[in-house]
Amino acid sequence: MMRVPVSWLKEYVSFHEPIAEVANRLVISSCEVDRVVHRGVPDTNGNLSRYVVGKVVEAGKHPNADRLQLCRVDVGDSEPRQIVCGAWNFGAGATVAVALPGALLPDGQKLEQAKLRGEVSSGMILSERELELGVDHSGILVLEDGPAPGTPLVDVLPLSDDVLELETGHNRPDLLSVYGIAREVAALLGKELGPPPGDDPPRADDEPVDVRIEDFEGCPRYVGRTFREVRVAPSPPWLKARLLAAGMRPISNVVDITNYVMLGLGNPLHAFDQAKLREQRIVVRRARRGEQIRTLDDTLRDLDERDLLIADAERPVAIAGIMGSLESEVDEQTSDVLLEAANFEPLTIHRTSERLRLRTEGSNRWEKGVDPYLAEQAAKLGTQLFVELAGARWTGDVDERRDLPERPVVHLRPERTDLLVGLRTDPGDQRAILESLDFEVASDWNVTVPTWRARDVTREADLVEEVARFRLDDVPFTLPQRTAMFGRLSREQRLRRTVEEVLVGCGFSEAYNWSLVPEDDDPNAIRLPEPLSADQAVLRTTLRHGLIESAQRNVDAGAHDVALFEIARVYLPTGDKLPEERWRVGAIASGGFARAKGAVETVHEALEVELRVEPAPQPFLHPGKAARLESGWVGELHPALLDGKWGMFELDLATLFAAVPDVVHYEDVITYPPVRQDLAFVVDESVAAGALIEVAKQAAGDALRELWPFDVYRGDQVGAGKKSIAFAATFQSSEKTLTDKEAAELRNRIVTAVQSRFGAQLRA
Amino acid sequence: MSKRSVTVAAVEVEALERDAQGAIAAAPTRAALDDARVRYLGRKSDLKLALRSVRDRESGMALNAARERLEAAFAAREGELELAELDRSLTEDTIDVTLPGERFERGHLHLLTQMRREIEDTFLGLGYEVFDGPEVEEVYYNFDALNTPEGHPSRSPVDTFYVSDDVVLRTHTSPGQIRYMQAHEPPVYMVSLGRCYRRDTPDPTHTPTFHQVEGLAVDRSITLADLKGTLLHLARVLFGEEREVRVRTSFFPFTEPSAEFDVSCFLCGGRGCNVCKWSGWIEMGGCGVVDPNVFAHVGYDAERWSGFAFGLGIDRIAMLRHGVPDLRLHWENDLRYLEQF
Repeated sequence: MMRVPVSWLKEYVSFHEPIAEVANRLVISSCEVDRVVHRGVPDTNGNLSRYVVGKVVEAGKHPNADRLQLCRVDVGDSEPRQIVCGAWNFGAGATVAVALPGALLPDGQKLEQAKLRGEVSSGMILSERELELGVDHSGILVLEDGPAPGTPLVDVLPLSDDVLELETGHNRPDLLSVYGIAREVAALLGKELGPPPGDDPPRADDEPVDVRIEDFEGCPRYVGRTFREVRVAPSPPWLKARLLAAGMRPISNVVDITNYVMLGLGNPLHAFDQAKLREQRIVVRRARRGEQIRTLDDTLRDLDERDLLIADAERPVAIAGIMGSLESEVDEQTSDVLLEAANFEPLTIHRTSERLRLRTEGSNRWEKGVDPYLAEQAAKLGTQLFVELAGARWTGDVDERRDLPERPVVHLRPERTDLLVGLRTDPGDQRAILESLDFEVASDWNVTVPTWRARDVTREADLVEEVARFRLDDVPFTLPQRTAMFGRLSREQRLRRTVEEVLVGCGFSEAYNWSLVPEDDDPNAIRLPEPLSADQAVLRTTLRHGLIESAQRNVDAGAHDVALFEIARVYLPTGDKLPEERWRVGAIASGGFARAKGAVETVHEALEVELRVEPAPQPFLHPGKAARLESGWVGELHPALLDGKWGMFELDLATLFAAVPDVVHYEDVITYPPVRQDLAFVVDESVAAGALIEVAKQAAGDALRELWPFDVYRGDQVGAGKKSIAFAATFQSSEKTLTDKEAAELRNRIVTAVQSRFGAQLRA
Repeated sequence: MSKRSVTVAAVEVEALERDAQGAIAAAPTRAALDDARVRYLGRKSDLKLALRSVRDRESGMALNAARERLEAAFAAREGELELAELDRSLTEDTIDVTLPGERFERGHLHLLTQMRREIEDTFLGLGYEVFDGPEVEEVYYNFDALNTPEGHPSRSPVDTFYVSDDVVLRTHTSPGQIRYMQAHEPPVYMVSLGRCYRRDTPDPTHTPTFHQVEGLAVDRSITLADLKGTLLHLARVLFGEEREVRVRTSFFPFTEPSAEFDVSCFLCGGRGCNVCKWSGWIEMGGCGVVDPNVFAHVGYDAERWSGFAFGLGIDRIAMLRHGVPDLRLHWENDLRYLEQF
């Protein structure tokens, strides 16, 4: 997130539009604006007039309190005011910031006239933290002498400001600066953009600066400037206020200046204590094998041979563009400073920052690509501020670089813009938009791109976007003019919906489970090298685990009747680059085998697919209640896996759908009456009803319309190890009425067939 | 003599029929009606006796006509009394109609499936196809072919699940664009919906697996305006006919120009509330005009064809529209959640 104080913005572009309107324009055309926040002293209802410059006339110990001072402060009234103060870093004669009774403070409290330990205090002498101008609360803010008592404080200090909180696109590193936003605002509002900040003061000396770039790939440019007699001290209030408003903590003038330049112009700077650089030399190179650096955050980091370093004659002093070393840091004793205004290649910075998991304000800018032409301007602004704010003497200057990239020239056909946008924009207006963004548009529509957009704008489509983004609100709402018409669900998609409907109709609710599971049945299942957690480490090859877990969760929540299904993909390892992704339907239901089997049957009926099952054990199923069918399995879950009786199935949808007929043909079951008979066969326990039906159908052919098992009997009448299965048989022809004789013949064929195949005896 | 008796009989028949019709109308029950029937039409009734004794044709016809009318009247009255009796007995069989009926256990499609179908159907209605691309995807399709250069933050293993150096769990449904275009000549109108994966630690507004819908249209003269119109249609299907759509500039490697699209807040109508974070707009997703580099990857001529693409997250839209407080509820499969939709 980037914070842009509006007062700072207005230094580069002047406008009177309400900030909300400016924010709206930016939102549509430039970048996201999360919100506009107010900072500092609330500026409503004349509140700012209750903040004034005061001059301390008298200051002494409070008669009733050792830790308090009793002051008389001239705030421009006829008589000085009595104010009680807790700080002791000032005395009579000091110029201070005073809030008068009735003032609303930045923290939202209202200041009232009060008695403190028996003495009236009609006002408050303010610290920088109370004004949100700094972090110091050890004493009050002592102002430079000059302004007369009673001067509005807002004329002396940046008391109040609005701040734009922005999110900028990855392609727009040029917006990661106040000046960059100002350029955008100027273009959007049709205002004049001021010149970039920073003017070189006269140079006090001509000392050589030893900068050697060994890797121009990683560092196309390095501006090094040296300063002597630098006085490291706190920054002035305006600078602190700006940094704080922009979200950075003030540290010291030297560090604050580098941050200020980065925020203002978008080019990160670094300040080295030159005395700490061996042989006072800067070498830009890749890290050597085994090299280490202790960074500013006091962490020892192992470097990689792809990492770009700033080194001195002996050792690394900074990870380029990311963070300096602790040893070369500027501290209170520093007087000689080498200021780095460089340019680094984005991918190098990105890789190192990624590998070290070390992100800084600097790396964030470098990895998006900073304009190499910007380094010089950044150096100028830094130099100016070093001289003005730290009393430094500018003594040396070097600009090491190889050829900087040319500005791209891109041809634009203005009619192409209209074709892609679907809105006519007059060529003159297109030109005006581009020129307002500092693109140079030649008469033949060859457009020269400004250096700060050179990475992003390289093709005609990119220029079209530049125009389009200024017109997004005007683009109409139309629908495509199609040259061909199509559009439908595929057969598989349609059938998947059918399965969903059928299962919902059967009382099953649909579950969504993670594709990633802790463990899978298949030892070759694809395992993530770096999972988010051990719970989500393997790509599932079955829907079973998630369904069992979901059922368990519902039982734990007190549900009695649970029926869940899921239609999702499994990921079968193939040994190739990608797994085979197959759609499956899986389900779990309380109530045991019959419920799952019933659902499987209903799905098959709905799809007009004949269902054939045979017993087949699975390690996770009840050994006596487990079946295989062509597309998968159905059974009762092994009770060791989940308490109670749970029916489950899992079917491969492509296999199932392969058997679905494209068209269902009419069968005449109406014209000629059916003949219905009951048949009961005594068979060995091991003979499955399904097997009997199979054989009976083969024997009787199409005229056996249905053979429905409706009762299984075991007992004395059939003998041990035997069972009797009773069937309701329906014979029917679509061509004629079956005679009794023909029905008897069909029945005999069945009896003979099951007898010879299974030794089945027809029960009288 | 015979002539006189006929006259007498005619007078008597009229009176008799009048009496009988009166008795029929007055019979309060079927038993009373039966008694009347015996009295007026029974074997020993005056009418039957008269019929038996009559000799002349004229009197016989009059008597028979009277009998037929009386029989019809008895039948009609009998019907009335039967219906009245049935009504009486039904009244005694009154139930409490406010009690629940027979219960059919019905399952529930997951909310996300319902959303998915709503979106699919919207685009089927606009003549789009629905494409299913792989979830375990080559880096080439997920990033390279979508013009996403090395160094782009979306490629970072901090955000993306890598299966190997060149295979990821797809981070968006956009690789479906490439696969579809490689397999089809333009024009293209397709949507692709499905699971995507990003390394987000689960919390109320993030899940590491989520669902996206991707849309792609390529034809002779597709424009940004067509994109806006299509998104407006989708937004109104999902959030109501009064909704508005706005597009804001953005950046995606595979579209140029790129934009994000917002729908006017369905809760406050755009005035500002905490659902839209007081902006009046709710972020829906990303979109743009297909980047010519993407066309180059699939061999489409960017001078002959133009296209738009868009993508949005289904889970979040469902969460917002239905007031689900926590995205993780989509994945817990708690029947108390599932059965609400």
